[in-house]
Amino acid sequence: MSDRASLAERAADQLDERLGLAGGLRRQLNKVFPDHWSFMMGEIALYSFIILLLTGTYLSFFFDASMGEVRYDGSYTPLHNVEMSRAYASTLKISFDVRGGLVIRQIHHWAALLFLAAMTIHMLRMFFTGAFRKPREINWLIGITLITMGLLEGFAGYSLPDDLLSGTGLRIASAIMLSIPVIGTWLYFLVFGGDFPGTEIVGRLYILHVLLVPGIILVLIAVHLALVVMQKHTQFPGPGRTENNVVGERIYPIYGAKAGGFFMLVFAVMALLGGIFQINPVWLYGPYNPAQVSAGSQPDWYIGFLEGSSRIFPSWEIHLWQHTLPPLFWPTVVLPGIMFTLAALYPFIEARLTRDRALHNLLQRPRDVPVRTSLGAMALSFYLVLWLSGGNDIIAAKFDISLNATTWVGRIGVIVVPPLAYLMTYRICLGLQQHDREVLEHGVETGIIKRLPSGEYVEVHQPLGPVDEHGHGVLEYAGAAVPKKMNRLASAGRRVHGFFAPVEEPAPVEEPVMDEELERRELAGRPSDPNA
Amino acid sequence: MTDPPPSAKTPSRLARLRRRLSGAAALGAVLIVVGVGYTAAASAGTPGGARAATQPQDSVEVRKGRHLYEEGCITCHGMILQGVQNRGPSLIGVGQAAVYFQVITGRMPVARQEAQASRKQPKYTPEEVDQIAAYVQSVGGGPVIPGGNLRDGDLAEGGELFRINCASCHNFAGRGGALSAGKRAPELTPATDKELYGAMLSGPQNMPVFGENQITPEQKRAIINYVQTLKQTKDPGGSGIGRLGPVPEGLVIWIVGIGALILTILWIGAKS
Amino acid sequence: MSEREGSQREREMSEREGSHGSHPAPIERQLDRMTPAEAMRAGAELDGVHIVHKRERFPVPGTKAERRAERAVALCFVLTFVAVVAFTVIFIAAPWHYSLTDNSYTWFTPLLGLTMALALAGIGVGAVLWAKWLMPEEEAVQDRHDGRSPEVDRQTTVATLVDGWNDTGLARRSVLKRAFGLGVGALGALAIVPLGGFIKKPKDELVSTPWKAGLRLVDMGGRPIRPGDMMPGSLATVFPGVPGGLKAPDAPTMLIRLRPGQTVQPRPGQEDYGWEDYVAFSKICTHAGCPVSLYEQQTGRILCPCHQSQFDVTLDAKPVFGPASRSLPALAITVDADGYFVAKGDYREPIGPSFWERP
Repeated sequence: MSDRASLAERAADQLDERLGLAGGLRRQLNKVFPDHWSFMMGEIALYSFIILLLTGTYLSFFFDASMGEVRYDGSYTPLHNVEMSRAYASTLKISFDVRGGLVIRQIHHWAALLFLAAMTIHMLRMFFTGAFRKPREINWLIGITLITMGLLEGFAGYSLPDDLLSGTGLRIASAIMLSIPVIGTWLYFLVFGGDFPGTEIVGRLYILHVLLVPGIILVLIAVHLALVVMQKHTQFPGPGRTENNVVGERIYPIYGAKAGGFFMLVFAVMALLGGIFQINPVWLYGPYNPAQVSAGSQPDWYIGFLEGSSRIFPSWEIHLWQHTLPPLFWPTVVLPGIMFTLAALYPFIEARLTRDRALHNLLQRPRDVPVRTSLGAMALSFYLVLWLSGGNDIIAAKFDISLNATTWVGRIGVIVVPPLAYLMTYRICLGLQQHDREVLEHGVETGIIKRLPSGEYVEVHQPLGPVDEHGHGVLEYAGAAVPKKMNRLASAGRRVHGFFAPVEEPAPVEEPVMDEELERRELAGRPSDPNA
Repeated sequence: MTDPPPSAKTPSRLARLRRRLSGAAALGAVLIVVGVGYTAAASAGTPGGARAATQPQDSVEVRKGRHLYEEGCITCHGMILQGVQNRGPSLIGVGQAAVYFQVITGRMPVARQEAQASRKQPKYTPEEVDQIAAYVQSVGGGPVIPGGNLRDGDLAEGGELFRINCASCHNFAGRGGALSAGKRAPELTPATDKELYGAMLSGPQNMPVFGENQITPEQKRAIINYVQTLKQTKDPGGSGIGRLGPVPEGLVIWIVGIGALILTILWIGAKS
Repeated sequence: MSEREGSQREREMSEREGSHGSHPAPIERQLDRMTPAEAMRAGAELDGVHIVHKRERFPVPGTKAERRAERAVALCFVLTFVAVVAFTVIFIAAPWHYSLTDNSYTWFTPLLGLTMALALAGIGVGAVLWAKWLMPEEEAVQDRHDGRSPEVDRQTTVATLVDGWNDTGLARRSVLKRAFGLGVGALGALAIVPLGGFIKKPKDELVSTPWKAGLRLVDMGGRPIRPGDMMPGSLATVFPGVPGGLKAPDAPTMLIRLRPGQTVQPRPGQEDYGWEDYVAFSKICTHAGCPVSLYEQQTGRILCPCHQSQFDVTLDAKPVFGPASRSLPALAITVDADGYFVAKGDYREPIGPSFWERP
């Protein structure tokens, strides 16, 4: 053994004498993870959070979370001598007067957008495959909480530079607080330390953004992952897969290598975006001034649905006795409250409605649960109409549509589109289910056309398993994907090679065995059969 | 000497001539009266009693402008620039600034009546534009775009003025924005210094009019400096993706970011 | 024996015993005789992990295909190295300072991002290819142990909790229990009460602005405005002419000069608020507080860019479209002795978004 090996051995020995963790380590290294591609979306969220922590720490060394006024004297000439807060000035400093500061700042902001996007598609995957069912409801609740925390964190983060765009958003947030009945004005004065904007809010958002909320998110992520490790990951039905096992690869080294590689690739995509696409150019927006606003003011994408709901909600103000219930209350406080509550409670609602109290470790294909899938499509289409309405003025300007018309499209669409989405999705699910069973019964289409003696043309079908006396397959649908093409046959459980298209290995060519005597006779033109 | 009494049947040659002459004189008098009266009445219809017809001492510019006007503008804006109901507004008092802006950007002549006239390929050459503008200016007066460098104003002050007066319609980087019911505050990207000045000064269509006492000439130059500088400077953070704010950023993260990562996980992970 | 022979043998072993058979825990002297691969399998069995299928990608070592795969993976890591060198060179040497005239500094951030991305992608792609092309193909099955804890654990845990509770004596010591509850509850309040420092009583700031009678309307530069400074069909943002007036967030006001022919139907009691063809409205939108700003001089609509509320100036800034529900408050203006615009008083209603206490 080399010296190096014995050094590692000795180090491990020393640690083990103190900690006694050898068995625990082996247990973790041997854990099996299924490696379906859709299981990696949560990882995107995790890795983007780590990137946020790293880049955010860097930024925190330069950012000054103060609303004290200062006259700009940095490199960006078009803002020379303009009065602005220190928060804004320090953001300009990071962007123009710190070498490499802008790329780190941009990676941070892109990673924030990705964090929310990844959590969203992860949540959708959970929803559509039924991974939230017992025993994983707690993780679902933690996930919804993480998304809420992510929204808050993102909002706080992009409001820190105190630029014109985010300051406008903060103004709207203050109006949302004001719109709450009874406690609204108290909440408003509490948060801002007085009337808007006051001198406190950026500092308070800063502590929220760098300490409180990341702390909560970290703890929640830790519990979230611990639960996954404890309860083990779910898996799709397939050969050898049951409710009582997990089929996949062990973490060390294969799954770990892929996961580590994926982390690097997520970081690479963030670095690329941070370099080649400009994001949040606060120097173009200018410092926040309550008398100024830009056309086309929107929040970051993940708040867009609230922007849309505010735009399309009618001007229904309610007057009760001597008090006012402003119209802003319903689309910005009540609506998201209902949306998130419904989302959080969904596992329990579905369990109650389906009377399902069993433990589930096998996932469901979306088509096999058409009601849930259609409800999900309905919710998604509702969200999308709101989201698009949030950008309706940019859509109107770029596509030359009347702004008032886009508002009406949003108002009507938000009511009409979701039920249509439900109906369409439901029919599509049923159709897919029927096709699965049809292939199971009649086999895979080979594309080979055969002519029967009666003159009829038929397509030859390859059965998937044993057939009964009528030629119909007897295999039952088991929840796994049914092979529908010839090149997928006997590939259930085996990976298909090739990325953009499946790489099929050519069938082996049989070398014909030639008889030399036969060959000579044929070449001489004599009959092949010497006995003929 | 006694003249023979004129015959009742055959008037003398002289008498016929006299009658003809007096008839012609009467006709001429009536014509002159009617003509002057009509001219007086017509010119009384224009404010200030300005003469619609060009004066003999008008420059060549103005005359040429008048010809061009009568060819291409008169149908909607009227013979004496008074405007035509439901077709075109009066051009009295709009000035060279308005005409220059509208015609050089191709907005006028307008293709059809719609919510807003859009910039398009101009119908007239710059010389012709100046001529039409000179003619309209000569008829009704109005604001004039000054000459000289229209960009030498304070850059930072221009930014502040831009943000409080212009960004709310035209967007923080001059990329345009929606107005109500199909109207638009256009992108400032194709605009020249003179066009920007002319628009501020004349307040085309629904744009407010920024007179020289409200935004002084120095301030206008500052704004123009800011807008044109912004156009020329490249984005330091990479592609500006339209300089429209978070909407294109959201599209990029979903299409490029999530798109690339979905492709990546399809590559790394197994299919079912 | 060699690694490969050993793994061959243990494959045979697992085939003979079946992948889901339970194995007795190997005792230490058995482990001494096992190859690392065999010991690994034994350890995995201890963790309920059965390695069903494990196959080298290249069973025959040293083939051209294997060398090609190894070279490809190695190349990825080398790419990282090259990219980091490039990143460092660019970081140190490339121009990055802002310049009004020379745009070359704008390449700095994109190049940094690109080289960083290549460096990271090198490791990423390399690691994934390593796993896919060079590491063995493996399929493992792990047993789940879901559901309820074993009955023994459940009962003993419950018993422990109950016994401990009995030890505290709270069950029968009601005086203690009540006092304890009182104390602990109070402790919770102790954590909350200091937060009262955050609370501020909502005061007149919500219902009043710095505008007062006699204050001049000044523009962004502090200049007072005369009638005639503005053309018909124009909009100016004005502030109260007091120290701090330019910064007061609820004070920005729109001074609008109407076009000839445009008239305002004033609200009852506000007939004398305008001055000739000038009217003044609060710039703070009554929906969510953005500055309303977009004035369409021909249609007389004031559009707010945040949520597209539209106010009609001829109807005294009444909302005619969008989510806003209240007219923009009007500021009564007149002209003072020196010929400058002045306010006649504060807004007579709270400006900006509505709130509960607003009648």
